[in-house]
Amino acid sequence: MATELAPTEIKALARILDELDYYGLLHVPPGADGVAVKRAYFASSRVFHPDANRHLPEDLQAAIARIAKRVTEAYSVLRDPRRRAAYDRRLAEGTGLRIQLAEAQAEAARSETQQRGRTPQGRQYYARAEADLQRGDRAAAARNLQTALTFEPDNALFREKLAELRGRPRPGSPGRV
Amino acid sequence: MGEIAVGIDLGTSNSCVAVMRDSSARVLPNAQGEATTASVVAIREDHGILVGNAAKANIIHDPKHTICSAKRLIGRVYASQEVKKAKAISGYEIVQAENGGIRIRVRDELFSISEISAMILRELKSVAEMRVGQPVHKAVITVPANFNDNQRQATKDAGRIAGLEVLRILNEPTAAALAYGFGRGLSQRVAVYDLGGGTFDISVLEIGEDVFEVLSTCGDTFLGGDDFDDRLIDLLAEEFMSRHGTNLRHDPFALQKLKESCERAKKALSVADEVEIRIPEIVPTSASGPAISVERRITTRELAALVQDLIQRTFKVCDEALAQAGVIARDLDGVILVGGPTRLPFVRSAVRDYFGQEPKAGVDPDQVVALGAAIHAATLVDAGQDAFLLDVTPLSLRIGVVGGIAETVIDRNTPVPIEQTRRFTTTQDGQEKVRIRVYQGESREASENELLGEFEFGGFRKAPRGQVWIDVTFEINADGIVNVTASDRETGTEASTRITLSSGLSERELENILEERRTERVQTEEIPAAGREVLGSVKLVPTPVRSIPEARERGPRPVVAAPPPETAAISSFDDAPGLDFAPEDDQPLLEAPPEEDDAEFLDIGFAGDEVEAPLHARASDEDLIDASLDASDSLFDDGDDAPELTEAQGSLLDGAKPDTSLFETPGTDLSSSNPGARKKG
Repeated sequence: MATELAPTEIKALARILDELDYYGLLHVPPGADGVAVKRAYFASSRVFHPDANRHLPEDLQAAIARIAKRVTEAYSVLRDPRRRAAYDRRLAEGTGLRIQLAEAQAEAARSETQQRGRTPQGRQYYARAEADLQRGDRAAAARNLQTALTFEPDNALFREKLAELRGRPRPGSPGRV
Repeated sequence: MGEIAVGIDLGTSNSCVAVMRDSSARVLPNAQGEATTASVVAIREDHGILVGNAAKANIIHDPKHTICSAKRLIGRVYASQEVKKAKAISGYEIVQAENGGIRIRVRDELFSISEISAMILRELKSVAEMRVGQPVHKAVITVPANFNDNQRQATKDAGRIAGLEVLRILNEPTAAALAYGFGRGLSQRVAVYDLGGGTFDISVLEIGEDVFEVLSTCGDTFLGGDDFDDRLIDLLAEEFMSRHGTNLRHDPFALQKLKESCERAKKALSVADEVEIRIPEIVPTSASGPAISVERRITTRELAALVQDLIQRTFKVCDEALAQAGVIARDLDGVILVGGPTRLPFVRSAVRDYFGQEPKAGVDPDQVVALGAAIHAATLVDAGQDAFLLDVTPLSLRIGVVGGIAETVIDRNTPVPIEQTRRFTTTQDGQEKVRIRVYQGESREASENELLGEFEFGGFRKAPRGQVWIDVTFEINADGIVNVTASDRETGTEASTRITLSSGLSERELENILEERRTERVQTEEIPAAGREVLGSVKLVPTPVRSIPEARERGPRPVVAAPPPETAAISSFDDAPGLDFAPEDDQPLLEAPPEEDDAEFLDIGFAGDEVEAPLHARASDEDLIDASLDASDSLFDDGDDAPELTEAQGSLLDGAKPDTSLFETPGTDLSSSNPGARKKG
C-alpha cells in the first residue's frame, strides 16, 4: 500500500513536524493506552514507512523519511510508561514537544530517585529496605528491595541499591569526570 | 513480468537465493540442483574463481587457496579476537590492510572480505539469472540481526561489488518471521531461534496482519554450528593423540579431513542416532610406522553432551531477548527455527523445553531466511504487495566522551528508522574543532565497544568555551546502518559522514574494485536450458512443505514446476534425479553403522532416494498439523500490555545529563549542554 496522502500533504506534515506533539503525530488522545498507541504506530507505519514509498520522487521520500523517524521516536517514548511520564511532565511544563530518548530515560530515573519509587507499594518496600539497612540487616533489605522490584521491575534506583547490596560495584561509577 | 528482485541469505557456511513468483516464494537451486550453495571461494592456479561445492571440494587438497567462513571476518578489524581465531584455523592467509582492516592473500592477490562475499553473491546472482531466464540487478541480502554497522556496510558493499542494487539489508530472524507470517493475516507473537553456522540470534516479533514488529533481538556473534564441529574435532584429536601419540592438529591436511568428517557427522546426526566416522590413513604410512586411520562411532547423545553448554548459552541470550521484549515464553504463539544446527534433535528438544512448546515446522530452516528475503524483495519492487517490517537496532549507539566513557544515544532494541540529536558545547576558549567518536555496544567503557568511526568537525566560530553549540545527529536507517551528522547551528555549517571504520572500504577503494571486475572471474556452471524456467518450489507456510530433515541432507532440489503444494516436496523427492555417489579416493568416508542400513543418506551432498526416518517423519506430521492450525486471532487480542523496553542497569548514569561531559581528545573538547533539548530553529 502506497501512501494515500497527496504530495502537498506530505510536505505540509514534514514542515509542521516540529509543531506537533507525539500524541498529535500519532493521532491518539493523551490518555491512550498501550494498545491504542501500538495500533496508531502500525497505522502510521503503513503510511510513512520508507518501504511503502520507494516509488515517490526523492524530495517526497526525504519528507517521508523525516516523518517516519519522528513517528518511531514518538512510539518509543509513548509505549514506555517511564519515558512517557517524563515526556508528559515536559508537555505540562510547556518546555518542549520532543524529548530525546536518553534524556527521557535519565529524567525518569531522576524522578524515581527523588520520589523513591513511583508506586505506593514500591515506595513502601523501598522505605523498609532503607530501615533494614539502618539496622544493618542486609538480608532483609535485599528481600524488601526484591519485593519493591516486583512492583517496579524497571526502577533504576531499586536495581542499583540491590546490586550494591549484593556486592557489585555501581555500574560505571569509576571513571566518571 | 515485472522487475525481478531476489532474496539472498548470505550464510557463514551456506548461502541460498530465492525469488517470489505467483505469490509464493521459491528457492532457486544451483546447477547441481542444490537449494544451498557452499559459501566457499577457491582461487585456481589460472586465477579463475570457483564458488560453492566445487570450491569446497578444494579445501582438502588446497586449503591455502580456498576461502571459507568469510562471513566471520566481514566488517572486522585485523586486531580483533575473531580474526586471531580465524588465523589459527584457516588454511588461507589473512593479512592486515594498511588501514587496519583485513585482506586475504591468495596467489599474490589481495582481496577484501567484501570482495570474497561478492564472489558468492555473484554466483547466486548467476544461478538466479539462469533459473528465471532474465537479468537480476536487485536483491535483499540478509545478515545476522546482531551485526553491527561495519558488518552491514561491508555486506552492502559486497552486494554492490557483485553488481547488485541492495534494496535492503534485512535481519535474518526478521526474514524468517516474514516467511512464516506473510499473507496469512496472523496476529501472533513469535520467537525466531536462529542458530547458524557462525552466529546465534533470537528475535521476538509481534505480527499484526501485514505489520511485522520486532520487539527485541539479541545475539551472540561467536556461537554457531561451527562450534559444535570444533567440539567434535577436539574430542577426536585428543583421543587420537592419547592412543597414537600423534597430534592431528599439527597436520593441516589431516586437520582438514577431520574437520570435514566432523561436519558431516554432525549433519548426519540430525537424522540418525549414531554414525561412524572413518578416515582411512589419516596418518599415511611412513618410516616410523604403518598408516593409521580414524574409526569412531558417535551417538547423538554423545554429541549432545559435548555441546550442552553451548546450547545453554543460547538460552541465556533468549532470557535477555524475552526480558527486553517484556514477554515471557508462555506469551508466545510460536517458535520458528532457523539454521542447520536446529535440525539436531537435541537442539530441538532443548528449544521445546525452554519455550514450553513444540517449534513450528513446515519451512526448511536452511531456506526460510532466503524465502523471507525474497518476499521482502518482492514487496519492495511491487507496490501491490505489502509487508511492513518494523525492525530494531540490535546494539546501543554511543558517543565517546571524556574519561574513556561511551554514552548511550540510542538504546539497543529501539525501533528504526530513528534519529536522535545531542547538543554539545566547546570546553576550551577559542576551540576550533572537535573529534566525534561513535561506538556500538553495551558497555559504558568506550574501549569495550565497537568503534564505528570517528571524524573531526570544525569551522565554527572561535569563542570562549561554552558559547558554541554543536548538534550531533545520529540516524539509524531501516537497514540498521548508522549515519552521523554534526552541525553548528550558528553558521549553519554541517558535516555529515558515512560512519566508515577506517579499516572499511573507502569510496575510492570501492570504485577501484568495481573497475578491476575481479568478481567476473567467477566461473559459474551452466544450468541446462531444461532447468531454467522450472523453479524448485518451496511453498510457504500456509501450505507447508513437509519437513523431512533427512531429505535435505542429500541435495538435489525438486525440479518440478509449480506442483500442488501439499504434495510438492514429496513427489519432487521421488522425482529427484539419481546422481551416483562416486567418492573421490581420499575423500573421508562417513558411514552409519551397518545395522542402521541407511548408510547412503550420510553421503551428504549427493542425490538421495526416499529413505525415511520414521521417527522424524512422524514428528513432522505433527508439526504440519500444528502449523496449519495456526489460527488468525483478531488483531491485538493479546496486545494489552504493550511491550516495554527493559532498562539496562546502568541507565541512570547512561542517560544522565553530563555536567561537563567532554570529548576525549585533548584540546578539542566539547561539553554537553542541555542534551536533546528541542531544537528551536
